[in-house]
Amino acid sequence: MLLLKLAFRNIFRQRRRSLLTALSMGGGFYLCAIAISMTDGSYNNIIRAFTLSQTGHIQIHKGNYLLRPKIHTTIDNPFELSTILDNDSSVKSHAQRVYAPALAYSDTDNNPASVRGLDLEQEAMTTRIKQKVTSGEYINANMDDEGYFQAMIGAGLVDALNIGLGGEIILISQGADGSVANDVYKVGAIIGEKDSPERYNVYLPLLAAQEFLSMPGRVHEIAIVLNDDKAARSVARSLQSRMQTQLPDQFSGLTVSPWQVVESTFYKTMQSDKEGNKFSLGIIIFIVFIGVLNTVLMSVLERTREFGVLIAIGSRPFTITTLITLEMGILALLSIAAALVFALPSVIWFTEVGFEMAQPMDVGGFMFSHMRGEFSATVFTTPALIILGSALLVSIPPGLRAARIAPTKAMGAH
Amino acid sequence: MTHFLIRLTLVCFVSISAFGEPDSAVDARAIKIIDDMERIYRGESSRAEMTMKVQTPQYERTMKMSSVSRGEEKSFIRLLSPKKDRGISTLKLDEEMWNYFPKINKVIKVPPSMMMGSWMGSDFTNDDLVKQTSLTEEYDLALEETEDTWRITLTPKAQTVTVWGKIDYVVDRNLMIPLAQNYYDDRGEMIRSLAFMEPKEFSGKLLPSRLEMIPLKKEGHKTVIIYETLEFDPADGTEEAFTLRNLKSRF
Repeated sequence: MLLLKLAFRNIFRQRRRSLLTALSMGGGFYLCAIAISMTDGSYNNIIRAFTLSQTGHIQIHKGNYLLRPKIHTTIDNPFELSTILDNDSSVKSHAQRVYAPALAYSDTDNNPASVRGLDLEQEAMTTRIKQKVTSGEYINANMDDEGYFQAMIGAGLVDALNIGLGGEIILISQGADGSVANDVYKVGAIIGEKDSPERYNVYLPLLAAQEFLSMPGRVHEIAIVLNDDKAARSVARSLQSRMQTQLPDQFSGLTVSPWQVVESTFYKTMQSDKEGNKFSLGIIIFIVFIGVLNTVLMSVLERTREFGVLIAIGSRPFTITTLITLEMGILALLSIAAALVFALPSVIWFTEVGFEMAQPMDVGGFMFSHMRGEFSATVFTTPALIILGSALLVSIPPGLRAARIAPTKAMGAH
Repeated sequence: MTHFLIRLTLVCFVSISAFGEPDSAVDARAIKIIDDMERIYRGESSRAEMTMKVQTPQYERTMKMSSVSRGEEKSFIRLLSPKKDRGISTLKLDEEMWNYFPKINKVIKVPPSMMMGSWMGSDFTNDDLVKQTSLTEEYDLALEETEDTWRITLTPKAQTVTVWGKIDYVVDRNLMIPLAQNYYDDRGEMIRSLAFMEPKEFSGKLLPSRLEMIPLKKEGHKTVIIYETLEFDPADGTEEAFTLRNLKSRF
C-alpha cells in the first residue's frame, strides 16, 4: 500500500514529465487501436463479402475435387448430407451446386462460359447472388410455358454473345456419361457487372443443370454458411471428423474445407498483407517504447539521490525496482484510460462511417466504396496490453539500475 | 464409325499399292495382298448399323447409330439412341467435320484444336475419322511377314505432324481381314490398341463384326463397336447424303 502511495506521489510530483510520458503512451494506444480497427475492419469486411459472394464459409466436395475438378467427382447423396447440415446448429444455411465448363452460343456469337447449377432457393439464403442481379429477375426452377428453363448470365456474356433478357442462350458441354451436353435456355436475369468475376458465368436451376450434364441427383459442391464466420476451421474439422467416424459408409471420401483452404490464394494474400500491417504497428509500438524508456531513464537519473537515500535508510533494491515498475504501470493504465475516451468514439466513427475510397474496389462482385473499421474488444485490449506490457518492460532496466546504485555515490550525485 | 476404321486399315493397304512401285521398300507380295484386300472389302459406298458401347470406370453408355460412307472421303453418322442423343449427326467431307445437334438445331464445325478430342465420349477421336486419307500420305510403310499374319508398320515422315510415333497393322493372312491396330508414342510405348474380332459375313464378305478400342493409359476405359448390318453400294449412298442440308434434316 505504501508503495502504491509512493508511486502515485511520484507520478504527480513531476507532472510535466508524467504528462509527456502519458501522452506518448496514450497516443500510442490511440494509434494502435485505430490501426488495428482499420486493419481488422477492412479484412473482415472483405472476407465477409468474399465468402458470402460465392464461396461460403465451408465447402464439401468429393475427394480432391477442389484441386482437380472433374465432372465425375461428385457427391452422390447430397440430400442425406443436407439433412445432417439442416440439423447442425452451427450451420446457418447451405446450398448444392454443380459446375461445368461450356461453350455458349447465341444466334450470332459464341464464347466460353462457366455453367453453375444452383439450388436457387437455398443459394439465395446462402450467398448474395440475388443481390447481384443487375437486370431482370432472379429466376425460378421451373420450365416456362414453351418448355425452356431460364438462365442467369454474367454481364460479360451479354456483350460477348450480343444477347439480352429473354434471348436464347445455347450451351454445349460434355455430359457426365460422355455424351455431348447441349440445350437451349432463356435469359431471365443478368448478373454482376462487365468486370465482375462472374461475368462469363451461366447460372441454371440445379435440376436443369443436372439434366444438361446427365448427372441426376449428384452435385459437385455443397457450400455452407455458418452462424459464426470465425468458426469455419473448427466446424470444418468437426464435420470432417463426424463423417469419417460416425457415418463412414454414407460419406466416405468427402472432403470438408474451410474457406481459408478453398480460397487459399486469397487467404494467403490477406495474411501476408496483415503481416505487413503488423510491421507498421510494430513501428508505432517501438516509438512508444523508446519514448517511455527515455522518460523512465530520465526519471531514474533525476531521482538518483532519492534512491541513494532510500537505500541508505534500509530500502531493499527489490522495493525500488518494484516502485519504478509500479509507477510506470499506473501511468500506463491512466494513459490508456484517458486515450480510450478519444479512441472509443473514433473507432465507432471509423466503423459506422469510414473513409470513402477514391476508387471503389470490386470484391467478389461487390463494390466497396468505403474503408470501414472493426469495433470489437480485440481492437482495444490488444493495444492496451501492448502499451502496458511495453511500459512494464522498459521500466525494468532503469529500475534495476536504480536498485544497484551505491548510496554514497548516489547521494553525491547532482 | 468403325466402318471408317476398317476403311482406315484398308486405306493404308491401298496406299501401299500406291507406293508399290518395284523400287518401293514395300514387299511386292504386300501389294498383291492389298490389291486382293481392296477387291474384297471396298465398295463404291456402304451403309452400316452398329452399336457402340463406351465403358469407363465412371459410366457405361450404349449408342446405336447408322453410318453411310462413300469412298474414303465422305461419311455420315447419325445416332439413333439413346433418346436424348437421337438425331445427333456427324458429317465428314475430306478432312473437315461437322456435328449437328437437333435439340439446339445447330451445326458446329469441329475445329482443328478439337481433332484429338473424343468422338461422342468414346475412345475414338475426331482425328480417327478425318485422317483416313492423309495418314497414308504422311507415313512410311514397312511390311513384315509371319506364318499367319502380315504386319504393316507406319512410321511418320519427318514433316508429318502427328501424336503417333508408330502405328502397327496386323492382318490375318488366311482370312484376309485385319486383326489389330496398335498405336505407339514417340518413345515406342503402346498407347492404344484396336482389335478386330468376331468375323462375320456381311453381304457375302467376311468382315470383323466387333471392334474393341482400348486406351492403354486409361485404366478401365474401353470402346466396343458391334456391327449389326453392313451393306455395300446401298441405294441411299448418293452424293446427296453427304451435304450440310442432309446433316440438318429431321428423321
